[in-house]
Amino acid sequence: MPNVSTRRVVITGMGAISALGVGAEALWQGLREGRSGIAPLRHQDAARVRVKVAAQVPESFDPAVGIDERTLTQLDRTSEFALHAADEAIQQSGLDFSNREVGARTAVVVGTGVGGETTQDEQSRRLYAENATRVHPLSIVRVMTNASASQISIKYGLRGPTFAVASACASANHAIIQAAQMIRYGMADTAITGGTEACISYVVLRGWEAMRVLADDTCRPFSINRRGLVIGEGAGIFVLESLEHAQARGATILAELAGGGMTADATDIVMPSADGAAAAMAQALNEAGLAPDDIDYINAHGTGTQANDATETRAIRLTFGAHADRLAVSSTKSMHGHALGASGALELVAVVNALRYGIVPPTANFDQADPACDLDIVPNVAREMPVWAALSNSFAFGGLNAVLAIKRAP
Amino acid sequence: MNESIQQQVFEIIAKQAKIDVAVITPESTLKDLGIESLDAIELIFDIEEHFDITFPDQQGANFDKDTAQSLVDAVQTALDSKAAGEGSK
Repeated sequence: MPNVSTRRVVITGMGAISALGVGAEALWQGLREGRSGIAPLRHQDAARVRVKVAAQVPESFDPAVGIDERTLTQLDRTSEFALHAADEAIQQSGLDFSNREVGARTAVVVGTGVGGETTQDEQSRRLYAENATRVHPLSIVRVMTNASASQISIKYGLRGPTFAVASACASANHAIIQAAQMIRYGMADTAITGGTEACISYVVLRGWEAMRVLADDTCRPFSINRRGLVIGEGAGIFVLESLEHAQARGATILAELAGGGMTADATDIVMPSADGAAAAMAQALNEAGLAPDDIDYINAHGTGTQANDATETRAIRLTFGAHADRLAVSSTKSMHGHALGASGALELVAVVNALRYGIVPPTANFDQADPACDLDIVPNVAREMPVWAALSNSFAFGGLNAVLAIKRAP
Repeated sequence: MNESIQQQVFEIIAKQAKIDVAVITPESTLKDLGIESLDAIELIFDIEEHFDITFPDQQGANFDKDTAQSLVDAVQTALDSKAAGEGSK
């Protein structure tokens, strides 16, 4: 490693939109109660698809709150989620972007697996099904994958490095690591980062169905009778800052984003590899200066597919050895569903609050143990225990792994 | 009739696996034939398209153990249920 001085990165704000409701607090309350946001699929084509359940943002979510009409017409559902979560995170952080110097040193990096799928689907339907000749003139600005990052940048006048990161189900974690690195190496003092996803369209549902990885009952990570993943949606957005920047303005620090690890399996486009995942976890520990024994909790990728949960268990054993039996490991996807490019961000809300409150959210819907997933998976009920340091795993189709290491606020 | 379904399924398998149809026996597992993971998902798609049927969700299906004959049986079951007017969902 080159010898460069680096800065510590902390989290000072977070916001979320998820199946458990509007706001990071609604998400956390659901998770600590072990309450699942998975419900019967609400969709105009629900009767035509085999998938019966999803983890959708409640209908009570009102995108118009706090967003002016002119901006609203520019937004796909993906960006609505991201903008609302960003508002919440920025408000919590107390950062004042009316000071233009702060905006000039703020990066915006938002992960999304798919981008503006709702718009894409609506406009395609107009053309191909209804034989319309025109599509909405704002279709392109709604669909583009960088729309969420750009809308946040415009709303707050944030003029540092701003772009989208796409790595399917690891998008949020890759984005957060990217943002943290820019702060660590001095390219920005603050960053707005996380992930957003809203891609529950007819074609995407059919696509997942054809892959035969969707559960028809619910998401049961690590249970032997698990039947696959449940599609979710939402956004999680965070305010990151260098430690000195946060301390200088007297900000409340929620947690330290101590390290990140990113690797590729380079094996198969869908089948996960324990080696690739383990290497990412080891990298995250290394950057954070943590030993395996320092970790109390892992928020697992834990999709509820046969392949992921068993492979992830092997990867955790590879990385942690005997300490794997002393760790709490839970999959909160059992409650907020698999929000794809937003997943890592929703899960970071879970991890930050586990550190703050000493409560590990459970793996809900746990039914029957699987010898291939023989970890302490905190079944069904949250556990009170001190958490000093944690990992949050995201592993994507395409063989892409991104792991965050998080520590209690310094 | 059964033989014809078997013949059609075997030909689809052969095409997907890029092998000679003659090497496929009812007992061959998909894994024996070199069909794994995504290939198997594509194979199921091809069979569904060919017969205009929909297999029940096979999450948890074991492509290591599933045989060519089990696919033929699944096609027969799906065709029967379609004929009985239940297979249109």
